[in-house]
Amino acid sequence: MKKVLLISLIALSISFVQAQKVNFKVKGSDTVLPLTQKEAEVYMKKNAGSSIMVTGGGSGVGISALLSGTTDIAQSSRSLKLDEKMKLNDAGKAFKETIIAYDALAVIVNPANKVSKLTREQLEGIYTGKITNWKQVGGDDMKIVVYSRETSSGTYEFFKEHVLNKKNYASSALLMPATGAIVQSVSQTKGAIGYVGLAYIEKSVKTIDVSYDKGKTYVTPNVENAKSKKYPITRPLYYYYLATTEKLISPYIKFVLSAEGQKIVLQEGYVPLN
Amino acid sequence: MTQKRLIQKIAFISFGLISLMVVGLLFAILGFIAIRGIKVISWEFLTAMPDDGMTKGGIFPAIVGTGCLVLGSMIFAFPIGVLSGIYTHEYLKDSWFKRFIRVMTNNLSGIPSIVFGLFGMALFVNYLEFGDSIIAGSLTLGLLTLPVVIRTTEEALKSVDDTLRMGSYALGATKLQTIRRVVLPVAYPNIITGLILSIGRVSGETAPILFTVAAYFLPKLPGSISDQVMALPYHLYVLATSGTNMEESRPMAYGTAFVLISIILIINTIASLIRRRLHKKVKMN
Amino acid sequence: MKKFKKLVEYFVEAVLFSSSTITSLTVILIVIFLFREGIGMFNSSPLEQNFVIVVSQKNPVQELNATQIKAIFNQDIVNWSAVGGAKDSIILFTTNDITNYYSEEELGSSLENLPAKLNDFILENPGAIMYISSKSLPPNFAGHKLAVKKIGVADFVFGEQWYPTSEPIPSYGIWPMIIGTLMVTLGALLFAIPLGIATAIFMAEVASMRIRNLLKPIIELLAGIPSVVFGFFGLIIIVPLVQKTFGLVVGETVLAGSIVLGIMALPTIITITEDALRTTPQALKEASLALGATRWQTLVRVVVPYAKSGISTAIILGIGRAIGETMAVLMVTGNSSNIPHSFLVPARTIPATIAAELGEAPYGGLHFKALFALGIVLFIFTIIVNSSVEFIKNRSRRA
Repeated sequence: MKKVLLISLIALSISFVQAQKVNFKVKGSDTVLPLTQKEAEVYMKKNAGSSIMVTGGGSGVGISALLSGTTDIAQSSRSLKLDEKMKLNDAGKAFKETIIAYDALAVIVNPANKVSKLTREQLEGIYTGKITNWKQVGGDDMKIVVYSRETSSGTYEFFKEHVLNKKNYASSALLMPATGAIVQSVSQTKGAIGYVGLAYIEKSVKTIDVSYDKGKTYVTPNVENAKSKKYPITRPLYYYYLATTEKLISPYIKFVLSAEGQKIVLQEGYVPLN
Repeated sequence: MTQKRLIQKIAFISFGLISLMVVGLLFAILGFIAIRGIKVISWEFLTAMPDDGMTKGGIFPAIVGTGCLVLGSMIFAFPIGVLSGIYTHEYLKDSWFKRFIRVMTNNLSGIPSIVFGLFGMALFVNYLEFGDSIIAGSLTLGLLTLPVVIRTTEEALKSVDDTLRMGSYALGATKLQTIRRVVLPVAYPNIITGLILSIGRVSGETAPILFTVAAYFLPKLPGSISDQVMALPYHLYVLATSGTNMEESRPMAYGTAFVLISIILIINTIASLIRRRLHKKVKMN
Repeated sequence: MKKFKKLVEYFVEAVLFSSSTITSLTVILIVIFLFREGIGMFNSSPLEQNFVIVVSQKNPVQELNATQIKAIFNQDIVNWSAVGGAKDSIILFTTNDITNYYSEEELGSSLENLPAKLNDFILENPGAIMYISSKSLPPNFAGHKLAVKKIGVADFVFGEQWYPTSEPIPSYGIWPMIIGTLMVTLGALLFAIPLGIATAIFMAEVASMRIRNLLKPIIELLAGIPSVVFGFFGLIIIVPLVQKTFGLVVGETVLAGSIVLGIMALPTIITITEDALRTTPQALKEASLALGATRWQTLVRVVVPYAKSGISTAIILGIGRAIGETMAVLMVTGNSSNIPHSFLVPARTIPATIAAELGEAPYGGLHFKALFALGIVLFIFTIIVNSSVEFIKNRSRRA
């Protein structure tokens, strides 16, 4: 027993010696997470010896981590709130903002659902609990099962602000801890509706065309429409960082904004800058 | 008379069937994970970093991370737990103090793991400013297993025959000598088995490490105890619920679940092997 | 030499003593830290720190309750006359809206003109209700603050709405979660108690030694499977199964959670019940058999009554195991914050809420505190469970 312990201790200490130090950390939005993860993966392969740590937690968490100095980059799916700006100003921390890509939120339903287009007003009705059956919006007689993200995610707030006209979600909405879980559930549940970033779209779910002019024109959520700003539920994705650490992380940011970095953006299903 | 026998027969058979069903449940879960997971297992899966948005490559950092957490919590919980168990069983007379300690230990073992997570975050991460780190996670997990270790030690000591202790005292040995030379050698196999079983529990806990150490993606091995690490259970949770491509990350999830369960299976097997071997040894002496 | 030995003995005893106090210390520390972080939730204003709700000085409304404020910001109330004011439509304004009215240049690069612009805004829009930081208000502001009721313990425990990030007034009502947690636990027990006790009886009284030795490690193994593996299994197998079997619109339900938790509570119930059944003295059993009773009658009339307190302990510890389980439940019950009225609808439990939201709640904010307060509630549940176990043990010892 002692021998086993000893050997494992030695093995572990060897692996400690070989391990590299983490150069910098990226923390925040779960929406940006898969993108940052992929960017970091490629960047680390190209620059041997560099090491980037990526963690999620939500936009708010990333920004408060930036404030407390526990992360170097805060990734965010929304711009800084005014009070967050005020807090950073109060702490005497000058910060920089970089838009790294755009994301479009697509509304998804089960492929078996007849409905393929909805207006913003209808979406508001569904998500605030005023519309509860698919036949009210031209579908089969079937109860609507509403899926949403957890309350503190940036996606939840963005959808509330831009689709629900700042009204509260119905309390019967099922709140999923992660976007992947929404896709999973919508693909299993016939009457389901959910919203996810374009990057998460799969064959197992169907996207809904959305109208923001009371039904005159419906726009399909895809990269082209998001790029041309035709698709209305689009938002920029940000990196926030302090001016003092800019030197350390600028090679990485440059890489993300480069043609190669933006190609990854497209591959991962987000909308590139240009 | 025959009617009574009939009732007995029906009852016993149905109890047997229910037991069979419980066993069936276990094998359903194990089989489900094993059949889909084993296809994914390869040398690369075990030793490579995650790749391509965690849909390819391996889970090496998560395995190492879980290893670090297990080791860290062992270093903390084993000595304290064993010493504490020896004290309450061998030194304390039946008094209010002993009862108090026992009630507190029972209370601690009944506290849900998520509350340990809250506590670890409040004390280690924030108040003591360890940050999200191996040390914060290990201490949280260590506290969680402490009651298990203490109870195991006590049970093992209880199984030592009192006549052995009396004999030792009669020969003029002190209390410490008696415990070291007589009680511990006899109790030792059971203590070790208990300790190994508690390792199995630690390696599967998710809720306590969510806010104290676990990283979503960190394809590097830890350099010090103040680093964050990936961990197998959290990695499985991530693979099962997030990621941009559920279909492609599914196999990785099955593989991770399979590795996690295999580790626990292996640990349990080792524990029962050691129990058998050491028991034989003790008997021979 | 002898003195030295004695010293060593004392020293060792001191070390042993101090390690034995660690568990008690930990329990006390857990209580202290849960309350330290969570208690700030109560008796504080539901608004973010330093934030206020203001209306124009000309507006006669002095006070609004939380429900009215929610209704106003949810656009259910759109005219001041509905809350005792003049007949004037309500204009909603939160700090982030300022950019809709004034350009970034007008506000200044470090927002130095913000207070003056806020003043302009309320002068131009007497029907406005503003939710803003008190720090950004100018000294001679042309508006007055509205009084807001503080959060009480009863609002927290019996509140039926959980909108922890809703602006300006979040709702921290955990009643749906308390009910959700209890329902999931109850369902798990309905499932686990009969199965668990039957298996335990089979192992203790019916099966041969060989079969028992085969079953024991299997049950141990079941206890060793991590909760996220159960959750994963539940997500992929049990949720769709429940949905299909009952023809439901949605499979993530209380029932799915109950089944998963029931399986997880089985080992606890089986092991402790079996131990309890085994403590029945052989003499009692033999006496019963000698009087002509069958093994079944002996079991029902002698063994089970004798082990009653042990079986109750097993059930209560099973409750304890189910009530605090986090990851598995998080993955299968759907986490909707409605009060569940049956086993076939989604629900939200206390541990799942903490796990899902703590990572995203800004440190030290009201939401963060509310989650620690949830931790306190969960802690109280487990203390009740543990105390009942102690109570049963003491009673059976005296009897």
